[in-house]
Amino acid sequence: MSERIYLLPLWIRVWHWTNVLLIITLVVTGISLHFADPKLPLVEFSLAARIHDIAGFSLVAVYGLFVIANIVSGNWWQYVPKPPGVLERCKVQGKWYLWGIFKGEPHPYRVSEEQNFNALQAISYWVIMYMIMPVMLLSGLIFQFPQLAPDRLFGFDGLLPVAIVHYLTGAAIVLFMIAHIYLGTTGKTATSMFGTMITGWHEH
Amino acid sequence: MFAYWRQGFTVLVLVLAGSVWAPASRAGTEAAPIDTATIEKNRKANEACFACHSAAGIKNPPKADLDLANKLKDSRLEPALFNPADHGVMDCRQCHAGNHYDPYPHAEVGKNETAPCTECHAAKVMRLEPQFNASVHAKNEGLKEKFTCNTCHNAHENIVALRLKDPHKIVAQDNHGCLECHNSDLTFAKFAPDGEKTPGVKRKRPDIDTIHDWLPNTKLHWNAVRCVECHTPEVAAKKMLSHEILDKEKAEKKCVTCHSANSTLKVRLYRHMAKDEQQRLGFTNSVILSNSYVIGATRHPVLDGIVIGLVILTLAGMLAHGAIRIVAALRRKGNKEQAK
Repeated sequence: MSERIYLLPLWIRVWHWTNVLLIITLVVTGISLHFADPKLPLVEFSLAARIHDIAGFSLVAVYGLFVIANIVSGNWWQYVPKPPGVLERCKVQGKWYLWGIFKGEPHPYRVSEEQNFNALQAISYWVIMYMIMPVMLLSGLIFQFPQLAPDRLFGFDGLLPVAIVHYLTGAAIVLFMIAHIYLGTTGKTATSMFGTMITGWHEH
Repeated sequence: MFAYWRQGFTVLVLVLAGSVWAPASRAGTEAAPIDTATIEKNRKANEACFACHSAAGIKNPPKADLDLANKLKDSRLEPALFNPADHGVMDCRQCHAGNHYDPYPHAEVGKNETAPCTECHAAKVMRLEPQFNASVHAKNEGLKEKFTCNTCHNAHENIVALRLKDPHKIVAQDNHGCLECHNSDLTFAKFAPDGEKTPGVKRKRPDIDTIHDWLPNTKLHWNAVRCVECHTPEVAAKKMLSHEILDKEKAEKKCVTCHSANSTLKVRLYRHMAKDEQQRLGFTNSVILSNSYVIGATRHPVLDGIVIGLVILTLAGMLAHGAIRIVAALRRKGNKEQAK
């Protein structure tokens, strides 16, 4: 029988799946709003706007709880790629994704309770959760309170830079999500990582 | 100052062709532009009216014991608002029967002899009348008779879009015409017909926010667009908005009519700026964007192309990676079986 460890506490799993639901909702409604066109009926515009607002505020709340829980539990440390040899570990990991995985080589990083993520994971999660996500949420909040945005900028409505930042950070999260879901299939089996996120148990 | 009025008037007469008709044209034919000397003469003549019919006049009446505050509570005007208005180049007596207003006290009959708008705007009124007759304002029982142009268009203060330019100001001015009744129980009651189920009892004014609660960001819309963007029928490019005001059943409710690349706002609120549209910095509907960010309408096609391209590339990359993994795994499996 393979060795297994209890890796993900309940709160992280609940947070993750709540994020999944909210982000997918926000992506679908966000696309419906940004690419609104009579010929592209995804979600009806006014419905999309309402759902996007509710899901957006919920994501802000969930993110706030995530940050607090991370501080209280010490989980934030998981996202920090620890020196020495961060670059070297990234290289090894990258090489495995681009070559070793096709040859059936074993995963170069052994997951532990102390360090859940490989170096590339830690860096990308850190960038997404602590750089892109807060900017996306903050720009979304300014949309709700447009008086906070400059009145005008470069001869355009002052909301334009806020809108562009919101759009691009949202797009970055979509790109991350595509890669994240796919890389979730690179565990011991194609579904084992998804299982870990449901049960909390990781099989080596 | 003088140059400003000359410029203002030239725009008014030449570009709008018919918005202002000269006093001499009582037969309803288009008049020649009013020259600056006449404008000055009119302004000077109007000063005599403003001597009483203004806040300053009421405060300091030209004669003692006039009790103007009481007498003029419904007939006061501010020169600062009237002079820049479309009709601000005219002599008050061109509409307000001059022969009755020259002497003081004014003859009572003068109040009933204000010239109708058709005196100057006959052709326009003839064109707009069928539209108005189809309007909710004409179709509700007893309402048509109470309506004049001035009910919605403030003849003393309104400025046409082309001169007003700033869409926010156009929205504020035009929505004021609607909200003066639709946001005031007192004024609404003056026009309201009897309720359908309550004969003899006037219909109550529906709360403007409540009946629009389906519209997201309602307050933002109030400041960014006019009521008539949705409450008038579809309009063709370069055509004037219809005077057929639509009720809530017929009004536009499809958000994408405005919130899309082919936004109808181009031929409505921003019609007067159509010639300025140059897709500035590559933005679609940059003229709209110069005033309001309208999601769905004010996009950047290049930016959208890059984002869509990146999403397709990422998806394709993941699919290709997955396909190679599967093929490689199958080959390894085949090799193992062969080795056995």
